[in-house]
Amino acid sequence: MRPEIIQKLSEIVGKDNLYTELEDLYCYTYDASFVKADFKKDLAGVAVYPSNTEEVVQIIKLANQEMIPVVPRGAGTNVSGGTISVGDCIILVLKRMNKILEIDGKNLIAVVEPGVITGQLQCEVERIGLFYPPDPASQAFSTMGGNVAECAGGPRGVKYGVTRDYVIGLEVVLPTGEVINTGGRTIKNVTGYDMTKLFTGSEGTLCVITKIIVKLIPLPEAKSTMMAVFPEIVQACETVSEIIATGLVPCSLELLDNIYIRNIEEYAKVGLPTEAGAVLLIEVDGDSEILAKQIGKIEKICSRLGAVQIRVAKTKEEAEELWRARRSAFAAVSRLRPTIIGEDATVPRSSIPAAVNRIQEIATKYNIIVAILGHAGDGNLHATILTDETDQEEMARVEKAIDEIFIATVELGGSLSGEHGIGRAKSKFITIQTGEAGLEVQRQIKQALDPNNILNPGVMFGA
Amino acid sequence: MDRSLESWQKEVIRCIRCGACQNVCPVFKELQAESTVARGRVKLIRGVISKDLDLTEGFIDKMSLCLMCKACVVNCPSGVKVDKLVEAARKEIAEKKGLSPLKNLIFRLVLKNRWVFNTGMRTGRIFQGLVFRKGPNGQGMLPRMSLGIDKRRLLSPLAQKPFKSMYPEVVKVPEATMRVSFFTGCMINYIYTDTGRAVINVLNQNGVEVVIPSLQNCCGTPVRINGDYETAKTMARANIDVFLKEKVDAVVVACGTCGLSLKEEYAELLEDDPSYVEKAKKLGSMVKDFTELVVSLEGFEGKMGRLPVKVTYHDPCHLVRGLKVKEQPRQIIRSIPGVIFEEMTKVDTCCGSGGSFSLYHYELSTKINDHKVESIHQTGAEILATGCSACRMHIADGLNRQGNPVKVMHTAQLLEMAYRARENPAL
Repeated sequence: MRPEIIQKLSEIVGKDNLYTELEDLYCYTYDASFVKADFKKDLAGVAVYPSNTEEVVQIIKLANQEMIPVVPRGAGTNVSGGTISVGDCIILVLKRMNKILEIDGKNLIAVVEPGVITGQLQCEVERIGLFYPPDPASQAFSTMGGNVAECAGGPRGVKYGVTRDYVIGLEVVLPTGEVINTGGRTIKNVTGYDMTKLFTGSEGTLCVITKIIVKLIPLPEAKSTMMAVFPEIVQACETVSEIIATGLVPCSLELLDNIYIRNIEEYAKVGLPTEAGAVLLIEVDGDSEILAKQIGKIEKICSRLGAVQIRVAKTKEEAEELWRARRSAFAAVSRLRPTIIGEDATVPRSSIPAAVNRIQEIATKYNIIVAILGHAGDGNLHATILTDETDQEEMARVEKAIDEIFIATVELGGSLSGEHGIGRAKSKFITIQTGEAGLEVQRQIKQALDPNNILNPGVMFGA
Repeated sequence: MDRSLESWQKEVIRCIRCGACQNVCPVFKELQAESTVARGRVKLIRGVISKDLDLTEGFIDKMSLCLMCKACVVNCPSGVKVDKLVEAARKEIAEKKGLSPLKNLIFRLVLKNRWVFNTGMRTGRIFQGLVFRKGPNGQGMLPRMSLGIDKRRLLSPLAQKPFKSMYPEVVKVPEATMRVSFFTGCMINYIYTDTGRAVINVLNQNGVEVVIPSLQNCCGTPVRINGDYETAKTMARANIDVFLKEKVDAVVVACGTCGLSLKEEYAELLEDDPSYVEKAKKLGSMVKDFTELVVSLEGFEGKMGRLPVKVTYHDPCHLVRGLKVKEQPRQIIRSIPGVIFEEMTKVDTCCGSGGSFSLYHYELSTKINDHKVESIHQTGAEILATGCSACRMHIADGLNRQGNPVKVMHTAQLLEMAYRARENPAL
């Protein structure tokens, strides 16, 4: 990066909020994805931490004028390679813009800056009986700006939807430096194109998000949790489809396969039968009077479709114990192999049994371990590939298997990515879902807003 | 664990860069740069192993910015041993680049040689009044002049006499039901003799005979975590020999850091030394924190008088996440009649001391400490009990900077006060 650019950036954000040392910049060559930056080629020129919209505007104007790539970044927890440095670029970290500006209980909305931690917003609104449902696994440390840019999901998606369903307004800085406000504070709003929805999930390619208005809903009164154990995974998959088809909507419907079950049991000793084919962890929420009735109906479906063991938590502690199995899942399998690649291909819910079948066939074909731990309720199957990245021969097979999983997903009418995003990880596959014409439309939108291609180049559209 | 940095390759690749450490790292909370969180440190270490990076000043600086508080380790979904990785990097730095002259002097001359350390500390006591003045509320002392440390820094004075010289080597009780040896650690021996006294008094009153082996020396942790493994091993072997000589039921510690080194880290450190590894494990199996031992003593609650005070407790990193001692001190505090126990928020977050971290990064360590002081303040407690002398000193410093009169003491001292209240209710 040219010294005069660094000097100008330093004048904008202050020298304490700017990093140029090799060791600092090295730490922006990764995010939580499996995408690897080429250290020699991709090292950023500078990382800046602005504190307000005006500073963001000045940074973006400078970058656009000088045609310098900008990579916006929150907590860097995305799993699609959306925040990795791309050569002599500016890493724009929004973590200092971390204020909850407003929680409006009368209009059921909250206004936040992009650096607010999602879990922190949830905590604050729940204190006054309100609820912000999107719950990505990273909610305790990922930022609202990042969640909006990636349109994050989570287990509660089955009942409550994803980030997009809650964002009703944004303040953004465009790649050319203008600040625009989209949407607003009202639920109904059809003035012009729905730019809010366009920017939500745009992965830092169209704008830098500087303010977010989200809608809130009343916090459900109570929850009830149960676990059902099935001898065969196909029975569990059918149960998921059946529960949904019956019109019951649990707030979480999580599926763990045998690989997970065995490892969790070995690691956390929660009392799972290690020979079981699959476990479903089911949670319903709402008014306390209706919960028992809902759980009763779900129990019946589970039994009818072959569950050999059903546990319904009677106390909060028992529910906590059931969730402990799910939460220790990751730690448990990470002991098996050193490298874990989490995929998030998503299929229509009725296709879950077929999708699980296809994934298992692909795993056998390439002789790799693929475990499944999915938000099965919304068809979001997290195929987890357990491997060793230092074993190049195995990694070559892993890559082929991943390609085939993507193709199978789209063939089953699903989506390449349910909640992780395209980023750099899946950009080469995007046309199998959008088609050439579909991608061209997206390119034209990008071109219209970002004529110099400065914002997160390479993400979504490839290099 | 005397291993080359390269041999940690298998551990670094287990970091899946999920970022969960951002939620708990006290240093990251202040600095916010990606290079200052566990995930970044692991990446940097990986960079050195893969030869992307060298042992530059920048790298050395990043490695020094870790409190070794283990918060990331217990919160890591893949269980990456970040503290061991940072230690391995520091070892690599010490071996390839050498220690700083000051660390070299302290580690290799002073801490390793008991008589040099002892003479230095005794001489230091006589002259400390020249450079330090008394702190407010009768706690600690403040530098009169700049010593390269902040003038606001509250240090605790060296004791009139080292703890070990105040007691015979065996503190006997009539009809002893148990015999333990006491590993005092440096801070209890030279600074907080009041903690040591409370440990002896409480154990004696419960019929426990206490041996204080006079040849024990520093546990070696400050040396090891700064990368000087050779010196650390010498110190470990010396302590193992001294403590295995005694016929005792347990080895008692009143500091989580010393305790963890005796209990687990000696065996790791000496794993390639066939003549010592089994001895280290044997010593490890005998180690008990003071509070662990006390709650196992029948009738320890029956000897207390009333203490009408409000108390809160701070979990020291190496006690709660190292020795996994969490409930025992609370059980003791709650059992004291009259005590109102109030938990603080973020009770197991590091106080910012990190041993020598607070000397090299004082400003940063005070910022981290400010959150701890605020948590203590919100409880409205008059006494803060804790189980580590380094935390005690650092928190007392923080309270002093904020003009907060909360008294800081070891759990053993609070229990000693309760026992005294029974003997003499007027006190």
